[in-house]
Amino acid sequence: MSDGNSNGTTPMFEIENLHAEIDGKEILKGVDLTVNQGEIHALMGPNGSGKSTLAYVVAGDPRYEVTEGSIRFQGEDILEWSPDERARKGLFLAFQYPTVIPGVSMANFLRLAVTNVRTARAEEIAAEGGSAQPFTPREFRRLMREKMALLKMDDAFATRYLNEGFSGGEKKRAEILQMALLEPKMAVLDETDSGLDIDALKVVSEGVNNLSGPKVGMLLITHYQRLLNFIKPDFVHIMHDGRIVESGGPELAHELEAKGYEGLRARTAEAAAS
Amino acid sequence: MSITADISETATATGFSREGVEAVSRARLDTGAARDARLRAWELYESLPMPQRTDEEWRRTDLRGLKLDRLRPYAALDGSGVSPVRALEAAGVEDAAAQIALGPNAGVVVQRDAGTILATLDPDAAAQGVIFTDLATAYREHPELVERWFMTQAVPASFGKFEALHAAFWQGGSFLYVPKGVTIEAPFRAFSLISEPGAAIFSHTLAVVEEGAQAFMADAFRSPSLEGQSFASAVVELIVEPDAKLRYVQVQDWGRNVWNFMTERATLAQDATLNSLHVALGSKFSKASIGSHLRGKNTLAEMLGIYFADGDQFFDHHTWQLHESPYGTSDLEFKGALKGNARSVYSGLIKVFEGAQKTDAYQQNRNLVLSRTARADSIPNLEIAANDVRCTHGATVSQVEEEHLFYLQTRGVPRSEAQNLIVEGFFRPIIDRVPVEEVQEFLRTAIARKVGI
Repeated sequence: MSDGNSNGTTPMFEIENLHAEIDGKEILKGVDLTVNQGEIHALMGPNGSGKSTLAYVVAGDPRYEVTEGSIRFQGEDILEWSPDERARKGLFLAFQYPTVIPGVSMANFLRLAVTNVRTARAEEIAAEGGSAQPFTPREFRRLMREKMALLKMDDAFATRYLNEGFSGGEKKRAEILQMALLEPKMAVLDETDSGLDIDALKVVSEGVNNLSGPKVGMLLITHYQRLLNFIKPDFVHIMHDGRIVESGGPELAHELEAKGYEGLRARTAEAAAS
Repeated sequence: MSITADISETATATGFSREGVEAVSRARLDTGAARDARLRAWELYESLPMPQRTDEEWRRTDLRGLKLDRLRPYAALDGSGVSPVRALEAAGVEDAAAQIALGPNAGVVVQRDAGTILATLDPDAAAQGVIFTDLATAYREHPELVERWFMTQAVPASFGKFEALHAAFWQGGSFLYVPKGVTIEAPFRAFSLISEPGAAIFSHTLAVVEEGAQAFMADAFRSPSLEGQSFASAVVELIVEPDAKLRYVQVQDWGRNVWNFMTERATLAQDATLNSLHVALGSKFSKASIGSHLRGKNTLAEMLGIYFADGDQFFDHHTWQLHESPYGTSDLEFKGALKGNARSVYSGLIKVFEGAQKTDAYQQNRNLVLSRTARADSIPNLEIAANDVRCTHGATVSQVEEEHLFYLQTRGVPRSEAQNLIVEGFFRPIIDRVPVEEVQEFLRTAIARKVGI
């Protein structure tokens, strides 16, 4: 697994001994995970193991209370940050079940989101020789159309209300579209493959692959190995009962595919006993 | 410009009285018939009891704060020499010069207190026989037209206590008349402004669209927040004749010292269409009764409403979809948002008269409550005396969902902006139903401002 400090710098994203609960029930029971720039990590595990909770907690969902541990992003503790602050700093969560918000058009919402994120990162953008000047509506439409074409999305999406009447596959594409426009540094993708047929899965995976790169860290949460045929992870982690119980390279996902969670659990238990 | 006589004799008197009615009548240079009508209305007013909270329509309305005896029945009647742009700006109207320009508008009437400041009409429209001016002038110049409809069919003086008072004291307002077969696309725009504190303003809108004609009228009630209580009594009468079409938009954005009472009735003759939108943003207290009489066969009444109350505002809307003939369609959608300690009451009645078969009536009221201390009540009602009809109604009161705010926030949008997006999204379906760019833009800005207060 990645040991973060191999290049001597602060890891980009670091979770330490994270405990979190909802309505008094502890779901995360001490999660440790480090993601460096340019790495793709896959987080697998059976239903109810706490994968989605981890995603929500990283994004700052107020329903969850963190009782112990820390999450650091670029060396800063983010637990006190609001969800929007986290996003403006470069964190992104692609939701498993994107929320439907009636009356809010994709284009208007995304322009507002992009303007907020780019304004917050003005210094950085300037350092890279760019300009954080807000896009005019026309410029933004062009940019959005460009990104939508990559994800094989119809132009009409721009004027539709946020996720309203979208099919499962359309919602997932819309999440990746948002990611493409917000250009996060660290993205958590929660079950982005669920509900997709094989063609949609190819398009979405290609979109994700286009967004990965040496500067971006990614955490793919998935129940199945299927997604990992299209997006190659550098590291694979298995989560069980609120903890990461095993970490390894891509081969771990194949082993999981062959043995199932039960088989893997038996092996882990054996190893622990010996 | 309006002709006025000396009104100094009662200009400082407060409260309402028979002498007050006579003074208004003299000041307005009423005809004998008009004066008699006022006095009859005054007698009616005196004979009717003040609405009580035991009356269904007033059950949730608290009138104790209203001090009628301290109000002056009218303010200056002479508006000549006042700059309309400056008067509009003082009342909070943005982009005032453009708002009253001819070209984008087919005609404009601006009144402040009870005085007419501006009355213009596009010459092409005038050449087609269109009349648009302040109501008092119209009464003098076209008595036969005004008398035929003024408080006779849509809102008679006998309607209720406040309507009777209005009939006795009415002063301002506008008259639109579109002759048979004439279509005017551009809006006829009327502004009622208040500049004097402690005044009672009686503004009356009478719009008549003759057979096969089409028109668009926009009424705006605007004033700055002044010291002392003001009282606005508006009556709106919309007469839509056979096969005619009227779009009517009303924006109530009075200052926070105003107690607003508004009664509107539209009458639709056979094959007529009404598209109305009511926007309530201002005043301290507002009670609006908005109704459509679907009198002829095969009529269509679209009635839309947006209200947004904050602070300690109280808004009360009553709507009436009165299906009196067969094949009528009414489609009502009122949506409200509330914040601070604001309160709203909506009650709506779909009434289908005997014999009004094939009625299709729809009524929806949705409320979004943005604070713990705001409250919305919604009371839908059906009364059906025909057996082959379709009537649907629904009412909801809900809050902004945390899940929605969280989702928007995870995209970098601050919570306050996310709330604004959600509120705008809540009203969006209604805004989209009014295909007038300027109205849509106004609503977007007004809603964003309200969210930000």
